[in-house]
Amino acid sequence: MVVFGRGARRLLATVACISAFALCGSALAQDAFRFGLAMPLTGSQALYGQDQVKAAEWAVAEINKAGGVNGKKLEMLVLDTQADPQLGIQMANRLVSVEKVPAFVTAWSAVVKAVAPVANDNKVVELSVGANSPDIAKLGDYVYTTFPLADIDIAAVAKYAAASMGKKKAAIVYINNETGIVAADVYKKVFTANGGQVVATETYDPKATDFTGPLLKVRAANPDIIHLQGLVSDTPQVIAQMRQLGLTQPISSYSAAFNPKLIEQLGAAAEGVIATSLAPGADDSDKVKAYVARWQKEVNREPNGLPYTQYLYDAPYMVAAIFKSLDDKKIPVNGESFRKEMLAIRSFDLPLTGKTALGEDHTVVKPVYLMEVKGGKWTRKAVVGE
Amino acid sequence: MFDATIVLQILWTSLATATYYVLFATAFALVLKVTRLFNFAQAAIMTIAFYTAFVGVQWLKWPGWAAFVLMMVVTLAASYALERIGFEALRRRGVSVMFVFVFTFIVSEFIAYLAMLIFGTWPQTVFPMIFWPVTLVGNIAISAWDLPAIGSTVAAIAALFAFMRFTRLGQFMVGVADNPDLAELYGINRRLVFLLAMLIAGALVALGMFLYGTRAQVLPQTALSLMLFAVAATIIGGIGNLGGAVAAAVILGVIQNASILVIPSEWQGFLLYVFLFLAIVFFPNGLRLPRRRERFGSATRKIAGEEASTPESRG
Repeated sequence: MVVFGRGARRLLATVACISAFALCGSALAQDAFRFGLAMPLTGSQALYGQDQVKAAEWAVAEINKAGGVNGKKLEMLVLDTQADPQLGIQMANRLVSVEKVPAFVTAWSAVVKAVAPVANDNKVVELSVGANSPDIAKLGDYVYTTFPLADIDIAAVAKYAAASMGKKKAAIVYINNETGIVAADVYKKVFTANGGQVVATETYDPKATDFTGPLLKVRAANPDIIHLQGLVSDTPQVIAQMRQLGLTQPISSYSAAFNPKLIEQLGAAAEGVIATSLAPGADDSDKVKAYVARWQKEVNREPNGLPYTQYLYDAPYMVAAIFKSLDDKKIPVNGESFRKEMLAIRSFDLPLTGKTALGEDHTVVKPVYLMEVKGGKWTRKAVVGE
Repeated sequence: MFDATIVLQILWTSLATATYYVLFATAFALVLKVTRLFNFAQAAIMTIAFYTAFVGVQWLKWPGWAAFVLMMVVTLAASYALERIGFEALRRRGVSVMFVFVFTFIVSEFIAYLAMLIFGTWPQTVFPMIFWPVTLVGNIAISAWDLPAIGSTVAAIAALFAFMRFTRLGQFMVGVADNPDLAELYGINRRLVFLLAMLIAGALVALGMFLYGTRAQVLPQTALSLMLFAVAATIIGGIGNLGGAVAAAVILGVIQNASILVIPSEWQGFLLYVFLFLAIVFFPNGLRLPRRRERFGSATRKIAGEEASTPESRG
């Protein structure tokens, strides 16, 4: 007969308890479909990350309120990346190895790139929702984006300027970083391909506080339209200086320029500025209107980066549709089956951003909404690629 | 392609935008001259100054002048606290120069992080609008921001130089800057002089941030990046030489902007680093007239010797 000491009995009891909990946990997990959300909840990007997480949480709550996924609960595990690649890797590892989710959603280009090997090595789907680096299309079999990459809106605005606005000579002013350089190149190619000519390409340093030199060079080239590829922080100042130096041409930009504050900061100087939005606005969709109204009612303001929060709101709906399809077909849920089913469905009709079709190249093509400042407010000018 | 109008426009705008850099560089150089401290905590004071003005105008809806006064009061209080609670305590404990240097960085990061928590990461400006109307003078665009900026900066720098040259306290500052131990033997209150240098630097950066924030957007981290220019101007102008820092800030700004006439625009930002590199490698004592080089060289050696040997002795 084996006699256990007091310490051994305690150990056995502990092991038994842990096993019981593990079994309970396993039983519980079968009643829910789980996925991960790794976003910046603290740090410099928290302002955006928190609003995006809130949007996703609202969506999960709505899905569960409407009966969940075939009667089972949709569970979203939220982890903080601080938009830091290193922390992102830790969080992805936790989601994959500890939480055993078949898919997770994340954003911020540096984080999306850093965690891609974790997703690929473990055969877990990484959905990039909000990051727009063109490299995201080439990160591996298990990395997909539901957010259009940088070249989509730049190409749309360049094509519209040349083909629809009839502009023949364009100047490009861009910030000297990866985003600016890539975008300037895309604009140049598309504008030229549509019969236009780029007469000046000028850049400025990310730390610059004065833009007179590059802008005077642009003025000397006398373009019909100027495309500005800057950051939220420098775009208003560059436009202000353009107008001060007598550059009265139409100015196009991208989603960074599309915010109400630009009009407040520039007043009449903002008139004629064209920006892009990658999601329909409140005037385009009743669902978006109700969503914005909910923010006003519950949070007393619009979300930071409204279009991004729309994509984050839609992400759980897409994940839920894949889980539902797997459940309908009685296919066991894991990363591989999740990816396979996602590609089998391929096209999703999502509440706030509309139809989303995953391309063979791991990207999505969405319509680009061109917005223009008219009479002191943003108005819709055109939709490209509808 | 480039006519006289373009050259004159670049010169004028460079001169106008050099104003805040001159103020930041002078403040940095003054504290370095008097306290022998590379004060990167100046970025924290700059951040406090800007967000106080922002709160005054945009949250409290005060007129610009009232927000300016509020900003000055708060900035001076912050400078006082930094000197008395921070630097003075560290000096009393006789910590190494490197430790104080690290402390200044931590203070800057701490305030930047605090600003981020309070004001978020969305860029802000002092006034809601940053577009200043323009008057054409012989085809040169002069904005309504330019003249007040140049006027107030010239007045502030002139007042500082007059203070240091013609007042007793100013001469005490020069005395402490030249030889703190000897100055103390002559009965000069070194604590008071250090505090005074911090307060003057605080007032200068407050004015600089008010000018900057009425023209461009500011993020919690902006001050640290603006500091780079101030440090470059201080080194190129010659450590301990206030006039040199002022001149270097103006000249660097003009050269950087005017360089667009001869080099591609993508090289423009790189120029600052080239100047900084050349200055550190070939002119570590700054670009100075040969007549004064010997005196400054010996002063620098003296400073270096003191700092390396007995920091405690300076109290």
